Amino acid sequence: MPFFNHRNNLIHAGIAVALSAINIFIVITLDPPNAAQGIFGNIFYIHVPVSWTAFLLYFMVMISGIMFLTKKESIWDHRGLAFAEVGTLFMFLILTTGPIWAKPAWGHFWPWEPRLTTSLILFLIFLGYFMLREFGGNTEQVSRYGAVVGILAFLDVPLIFFSVKFWLPEMQSHPQVGSYFDSGNLFPTFLVIFSLITFIIISTLMVRFRVSILKQNNIN
Amino acid sequence: MLVHFILKDLKIELRSKEIITSMFIFGLSVTLIFALAFQVAPAMIREFAPGLLWVVILFTSVLGLNRLFSLERDEHALWSWSAGPVDRGTVFIAKVISALIFVIFSEILFIIPFFVFLNLPIEFSFFQLGLILFVGTGAIVSVGCLISGITLQASQRDVLIPILLFPTASPVAIAATKCTQLLFNQKSITEWNYWLLILGSFFVIFTLFGYLVFNKIVEE
Repeated sequence: MPFFNHRNNLIHAGIAVALSAINIFIVITLDPPNAAQGIFGNIFYIHVPVSWTAFLLYFMVMISGIMFLTKKESIWDHRGLAFAEVGTLFMFLILTTGPIWAKPAWGHFWPWEPRLTTSLILFLIFLGYFMLREFGGNTEQVSRYGAVVGILAFLDVPLIFFSVKFWLPEMQSHPQVGSYFDSGNLFPTFLVIFSLITFIIISTLMVRFRVSILKQNNIN
Repeated sequence: MLVHFILKDLKIELRSKEIITSMFIFGLSVTLIFALAFQVAPAMIREFAPGLLWVVILFTSVLGLNRLFSLERDEHALWSWSAGPVDRGTVFIAKVISALIFVIFSEILFIIPFFVFLNLPIEFSFFQLGLILFVGTGAIVSVGCLISGITLQASQRDVLIPILLFPTASPVAIAATKCTQLLFNQKSITEWNYWLLILGSFFVIFTLFGYLVFNKIVEE
């Protein structure tokens, strides 16, 4: 697989670091989305695109799981594991940026907001997923089990979201993109940051994917 | 085939009385600990009681599921039936029904001391409580059987079941607790039927999912 080589990984890593720096610069210099919260509100520029990508990555874990169980090609197992690892890293970012923003907005770090709570529960399920992959049995077995847990976790998402939403109906006032912000349409800004983050994710996935394949070749 | 597998588990349990006895004693012990730890006003304990009840049910279910699937690991019983022309999906449904019977039976045994120890007033419909217990327990065992099947060959099986089950079953914990709380507060079923719907959806989704993927989990 000539595309997945050390040189390409290094080039991508370099571009990813540069894009991250640009990202941080954009976020710091932009006007706060909500004047009352000042600079703390700026974390939203990172929080929202990171959330989109994390859920997208977990969705891809499910797709990889379905493909692996139907086609039985190990490439889908490597993809699933790479998506899960990078997705969990981004889930951790959601769980860090969310409370940092929640403190000035709601007055406490953990407001049991449905989307944040869903992220926490998914994060915990995926920690179990990694433990299963480590202690679940032989390589061929854990690939199948991992695929099933990846699908199971995403099937659980709507059930977790709606049960948390109904559980605390007073949390319905959570900020919605479009209604919460003072300044005009922030969607283009989100899209720019989302694109930068997507590139960072792709380069991270490529490294992880290559490591996974090298590891398997080493075992065999 | 389905009936044969259920009867097999029931016959083994009837001879050994191992699963129900251990679940009952464990449930009783946890109830006692809760009753001793929560020395608060009767009005307050009434608010806590539904949550405590479902914590006890969740813990005892883990114990029961662990034992129920260990039967398949002892003496390599799993390999005996998986070598034959048996639909693994049917085996999964049989396991869900057996687990449901065992957990409901142990609930019937420890729910009386639960009400006695916590001094809870019985001012609600037994039929409605039975309905909540049936659907809620069904939701727990449907996903629990799937996770027990996945972790059957795992070296850290005892740890992996709760690690994967508790976050996955969190919508069940929320919905079942809410249903029971509203029932204890003598609210009519129309006020909590949507919680029952979440429990029912969970039960159906994960039973069907388990039925579809169990042949991928149990492969020779």
